[in-house]
Amino acid sequence: MLPALPALRDLLPRGGLARGSVLAVPEFGLLCLALAAGASAAGAWCGIAGVPEAGVAAAVGAGLDAERTLLVPDPGSAWPQVVASLLDGCELILLRPPATAPAQIRRRLEAVLRRAGGVLVVAGDWPGAQVRLRVITQRWTGLGDGHGRVRACCAEVTADGRGEAALTRTRWLWLPAEDGGVTVANPEDIPVPSIPVAGTSPGLRAVSAG
Amino acid sequence: MRAQNAGSVPQRIMVVRCPSLCGPDASVAGPQAARLFERVIGVLTGFCPDVEAAEPGVCAFGARGPARYFGGEALLASKIIAAVAELGVESRVGAADGMFAALLAARRAEPIDPGAVLVIPPGGTAGFLAAQPVSVLADQDLAGLLKRLGLGTLGDLAALPASDVASRFGDAGEAVHRLARGLDLRPLVGRPPAHDLSVAREFDPPAPLAEPVVFAAKTLAEQLHAGLAARGLTCVRVQVRVTWADGEESSRLWRHDGLLTAAGVADRVRWQLDGRRVGPGDGQYAQGGIGMLRLVPDQVVRATGHQLALWGEAVVSDRVARAAMRVQAMLGHEAVLRPVTGGGRNVSEQVSHVPFGEKREPRLAAGPPWPGRIMGAAPGVVYPVAREAEVTDDAGRLVTVSGRCVLSAAPARLVIGREPPRLITAWAGPWPLSERWWDAAAARRRARFQLATDDGRVWLAVVRDSRWLIEAGYW
Repeated sequence: MLPALPALRDLLPRGGLARGSVLAVPEFGLLCLALAAGASAAGAWCGIAGVPEAGVAAAVGAGLDAERTLLVPDPGSAWPQVVASLLDGCELILLRPPATAPAQIRRRLEAVLRRAGGVLVVAGDWPGAQVRLRVITQRWTGLGDGHGRVRACCAEVTADGRGEAALTRTRWLWLPAEDGGVTVANPEDIPVPSIPVAGTSPGLRAVSAG
Repeated sequence: MRAQNAGSVPQRIMVVRCPSLCGPDASVAGPQAARLFERVIGVLTGFCPDVEAAEPGVCAFGARGPARYFGGEALLASKIIAAVAELGVESRVGAADGMFAALLAARRAEPIDPGAVLVIPPGGTAGFLAAQPVSVLADQDLAGLLKRLGLGTLGDLAALPASDVASRFGDAGEAVHRLARGLDLRPLVGRPPAHDLSVAREFDPPAPLAEPVVFAAKTLAEQLHAGLAARGLTCVRVQVRVTWADGEESSRLWRHDGLLTAAGVADRVRWQLDGRRVGPGDGQYAQGGIGMLRLVPDQVVRATGHQLALWGEAVVSDRVARAAMRVQAMLGHEAVLRPVTGGGRNVSEQVSHVPFGEKREPRLAAGPPWPGRIMGAAPGVVYPVAREAEVTDDAGRLVTVSGRCVLSAAPARLVIGREPPRLITAWAGPWPLSERWWDAAAARRRARFQLATDDGRVWLAVVRDSRWLIEAGYW
C-alpha cells in the first residue's frame, strides 16, 4: 500500500493506493498530481509520462518531491515499453496514454505492474481500473468581476470502482487550498456557485470564432 | 613566424566571438554552452588547426596563413561566420595586429556591418586602439582611476611616456600601457592536437545478436579507459556509435564523468541495442545486424579525481538510474527529465526541466525577487507552448488592451483553438508585464488575465501584440 494524502484517504479503498492497482481519472488535472503527491511525499519515486503540461509547481505545493520525479513528456508510440521500464525504478507512474490502450497491452502492463508492485494513475480511460476518481464540481474563490486573483478551489470529488471500491463515495476537498496543499473542506465553507457575467442567451447570436 | 622581441610588430590575430555563448547576452549557459562551443572550435580547426580558446565563447588563431590560403581576411571571416552559423550559433569576427586589438575588434563588430566582421588593416591597429575608451581594459579599478585622471581613451594613455606610467601605476600600469600602444606580444596558446582516443571493433560478418557485441563493448571500454588514463584524462560523456549492416548509424551520448566501469559502459551499449530490437525477447534487428561498434570519448577533460554527488544534490538509487537510462536508450537523452523549481515571471519559466544525469539547477534562480509573477495558487496545467485563443465581449467584439493597459470591454466569452465557446463567469486583470525593456530585440510587453469559465475552470491568459494566448489552466 502506497500512502495517499490525508484528504484523499476517505475516497480510496483502505485509505491508500494499493500496490499493483490502476487508478483512473478521466482528465489530467490537479487530482492526478495530488494522487502522486502523497506517495512522493512519503519517499516514493514518481514518473510522469505523456503529460508535457504537468504543472510541477502546483504538484510541489500539494506535496510532490520534485527531486524524486522523472518526466517523460513524450513517450511516443513506445509508451507501453516506457511505462514498463519506468516501473523498474518508480513506484508510482502517472500516465496519459496517447489513445485508449488496446486490451492486450493493458493486460500486459497490469501484469508488469503487479510484479513490480507499483501503482499506475491513468489520466484517461482504462476499462480495468480498480478505482475511478472524478472531479464533478469545481468552485474557485478569489476571482471577482475584474478584480482579485485565484486563491483556492473547492472541488467535489467522487470515487467508485470495482470490488471493495464499488461503493460510490463523494467528498468536498480544497484542491488546492490557499497554501497550495490539499485538505478536506468544511461543508459551511463551500463557496456558492457564481453566475456568468455575460448575457445568458448566447445561442441567439452567432459568435465570431474565426 | 612569430614576433619574438618587443621591437617587432605583433602577429596578425583573428578572433571569433559567439555573443550567444559568452558575456551578458548569453542565451545558452552551462554545459550546453560548453558543448556548443566545443563544436564551434571543431569547425574552426577546419580553417586553422591551431585554435586557442581564449575565454568561454571566444577563440583566437593566427590569421596570416589561413587568410592567405582562403583569399584574404575578410573572405576568411565570412566563410567562418557561415560555417559557424550552420551550428545555429551567431558569431562576430575581428582581426587586428595582436590579441588585445583583435578581441576588441570582435567585440566591436556589429551585426549590421557587412557580415559582422571588423578587420583592422595592418598598421591601423594603433589608431583603432587610440579611439577605444579605457573602460575596455579588464582591470576595472585601474580603468576608473585613469578616467578620473582625465585619460578617457587608450590613445590618451599611450601618449604618456612609458616610464611615467610605470612609476605611477607599477606593473599593472606598464602592462596596460603596452596594450594601449598595440605592443601585445602574448603568443597564442594552441590546444594540444586532439588525439583520437576512440576505440572501435568491426564485426564481419555482422553480428545478428546483441550478446557478442556487448561482450566486445566491455573489452573496448577497458581499452578506452586505459587510453584516457595513460594521458591523465577522463571524459564527461561517452558516445556509443553503432553502425548497422545496412550502413545506418545510430549514436547516443551517455554520461560518464570518469565514473563508469567497463561493465557499466557495456550495459549502456546493451540498452542502446535493445532500443532497436523489433520483437520481444531475443528478436532480430530490422537493420540486419551490427557491423561496427565505436566508443568515442566526448568532452575530454583532465582527470581531477571523482566528484562525489554524480547526480547533483540527491543521490539517485541504482534502480532509478537504470530505469531512467533504459528509457533514455529508447527515446534519447533529452526524453527523460527531472524538474527543478526556480524563479521567473512566467509560470512556464518557474520549473526547469533537466535531462536525467545532468546537474539539476534551475535556469532562473529562485533567490532574486521576480516582480510581476502571478501570486496565489499555482496552475495544475502549464502548456509548454501557449494555446491560441480569442476573448470577446458581450457584443462579440475582440477584447483589446491599449498601451496604457486599458481594457476595451469586459471579457465575456473565451474560445480556445477550435473548442466550443465558454462563458466567462469571473475575471481579473489586466496585469501588465514589461520584460527586458532595455533591449529592443528581446523586449516583451504583455498583459495577463485570469479568466474563470462556466465549466468551473480558470485560465491564465495573456495578451501579446493584440493576440490572446492561454498559458496555463487551474484545475
